[in-house]
Amino acid sequence: MPTSTKRIAINFGGGYVPGLNALIAGTVMAASEIGWEVVGIRDGYDGLLFPERYPAGGLLRFDREMVEYLTGASGSVLGTAARSDPFHVRAVDEDGMLREEDRSDELLDAIRSHGIDAVISVVGSAPLSILWKLSRKGLKTIAVPKSVENDMATTELSFGFDSALSFATETIERVRRAAESTRQIGIVEVPGERAGWLALQSGIAVCADAILIPEIRYDLHKVAEKLCEKAESGRDHALVVVAEGATPVIGAAPSSDSSPVDSLRASLSPGAFGEQGAHVIERSGHVAQKVALELQRLTNHETYPLVLGHLVSGGPPTAADRQLGLAYGAAAVRALQDNQSGVMVSFQPPELKFIPLADAINKARILPADSVFVQVARALGISLGD
Amino acid sequence: MTTTDLLEPTGTVLNIQHFCTHDGPGIRTTVFLKGCSLRCKWCSNPESIQPKPELAYNPDKCIGKAQCGFCLKPPFAEGAMYVVDGSDDKIHVNWDLAGDCDAETIDLCPTGALHMFGQRMTVDEVLDEVAQDSSFYRESGGGITLSGGECLLVPDFSAALLAGAHKRGFNTAIETGGNVPWRFFEKVLPHADLVLHDRKVTDPARHKKWCGVDNVRINANFEKAYSTFPDTKFIARTPVIPGVNDDEEHIRAVLASIRPYPNVIDYELLPYHRYGENKYNFLGRVYELHDFQSPSPESLSRLQAIIDEAFGRGGS
Repeated sequence: MPTSTKRIAINFGGGYVPGLNALIAGTVMAASEIGWEVVGIRDGYDGLLFPERYPAGGLLRFDREMVEYLTGASGSVLGTAARSDPFHVRAVDEDGMLREEDRSDELLDAIRSHGIDAVISVVGSAPLSILWKLSRKGLKTIAVPKSVENDMATTELSFGFDSALSFATETIERVRRAAESTRQIGIVEVPGERAGWLALQSGIAVCADAILIPEIRYDLHKVAEKLCEKAESGRDHALVVVAEGATPVIGAAPSSDSSPVDSLRASLSPGAFGEQGAHVIERSGHVAQKVALELQRLTNHETYPLVLGHLVSGGPPTAADRQLGLAYGAAAVRALQDNQSGVMVSFQPPELKFIPLADAINKARILPADSVFVQVARALGISLGD
Repeated sequence: MTTTDLLEPTGTVLNIQHFCTHDGPGIRTTVFLKGCSLRCKWCSNPESIQPKPELAYNPDKCIGKAQCGFCLKPPFAEGAMYVVDGSDDKIHVNWDLAGDCDAETIDLCPTGALHMFGQRMTVDEVLDEVAQDSSFYRESGGGITLSGGECLLVPDFSAALLAGAHKRGFNTAIETGGNVPWRFFEKVLPHADLVLHDRKVTDPARHKKWCGVDNVRINANFEKAYSTFPDTKFIARTPVIPGVNDDEEHIRAVLASIRPYPNVIDYELLPYHRYGENKYNFLGRVYELHDFQSPSPESLSRLQAIIDEAFGRGGS
């Protein structure tokens, strides 16, 4: 079907994940094949909303030769924005007062005035609702899912996850050796606010003694019991992998104060996190510290917590993420060529499909109780804290 | 803006609290206005920060999709509320989309789990409610106190409220953080009998870290106010947050700033508390001072002794 699209833009919302540059490459290469031009919007939408911040311009024009060498590069040549919400832009007025402005109309005008026909937005869960709102205001857009936690609903694999899994596995293996050497219990916290894919898969890969995930409430008494059994049989070290969103069963935390964050998260949407408010903060490290302290009390064994946090988002993409980034970029261009808009590219092996954004928001891809990974962990004798 | 608006300004009122005893002399009625120009991390009224009415959600009051589910259908904004497969059937709020729901829609929640903080009120509406307590004012020397948020952010409304209160014979007080243009002070302070004002952190950079802006304009405003309104009484206050401002250096710096002015009649310490923590949950925000504790009685006594000495009270 013929389409009028000639010039498209690409931007990134949320944080870095490995493979962003591969996605740019996939988009530009596919677009150049049909004679389209691709520009990048710097730092989410900031390149258009705050062009004065960019002496070289808020848009970056790509060509095929430039991007062919980018696929394996870490980071993002476009930058990204932890929170880029054109409906709530912070501004300081002439009296020096802080206020919020809805600049969504201005953004859409800027997109039109730059001759941009459509925007490919690479987003995690949080910015997806904002993209949907823009789409309903008339922005022609295709979403591409990214997540190191692999928690984006309606896609089997978000790009960035495979690289994060490889890095986490390698690092946790090192922690195991350190625990062995120092005869301690290593506690490694990995990203996973809502879903435990990264903790469970990396934990299985290193044969951890216990893995705690958001989908299964943990009882540290049971974990401690398991670790003590191993200690009695002569094993003087242990390894516990915990997702940052893991929570204890109600009434099971022996002496730690109950975290308001735990109860809070049950009622929060993904959009409640980020830089939206002055009171929103990074909670990374909270769970590792809590689990380490409690296990030390319960096992009388020294523990040390390690938080991988944003480390898993850095570094170069794996081959799988390079391929996925290239494929997602090319698929997004194909969707625009087919005159689609307001959809998210979804990997449903062996196909790449397109899902309406309305069906993708307010959902998370969490581990089912009968997941094969849960079954494997149990079969290997790994404690899941239940 | 219509002529009516000019004659009768309206403001967004968060709450009118009766029988207050800590917001000025006597028994008082405190009117909390919405909108603040600071972002103090310890704020115990987070629902007062945004100037517009805003949504709050208390999951404990939600009876779930099976028994109710009103908020999952129009007129609620599409996608604003949702349930998650596999968990209980209580609703979750997508805060990016829920902002599109208006107060009338939110009122459709039968259990009050969804609630709007703040409503537009006229000066007379506020004063008529405040007047219900007037007999207590006469007995106790109390009156009306405007609080927030930052009541000076809406100078026309605040000035009209205080002037109206004076006409009805009520004592007037305001609570302010002082981070507004000076011309807002000029509009409101002529109608205030007492100004309770915060001096939170001494160092400008640390003030910015903990309160969102530095204190240069705030300090300049207060020092100008002390001398510009010599007949108005001022009481300086510091919310004492351990590790942030519970040091003698800060207390002495505030004292050095206020003692030259005889109309600054006192300096009070307000011990940090966490009473507002749950409200962060209801607003979909995370409380940052999760690990902070109230100051110890010993620490407060030590700081209070410095103030008492400066004001020539008690002790040896």
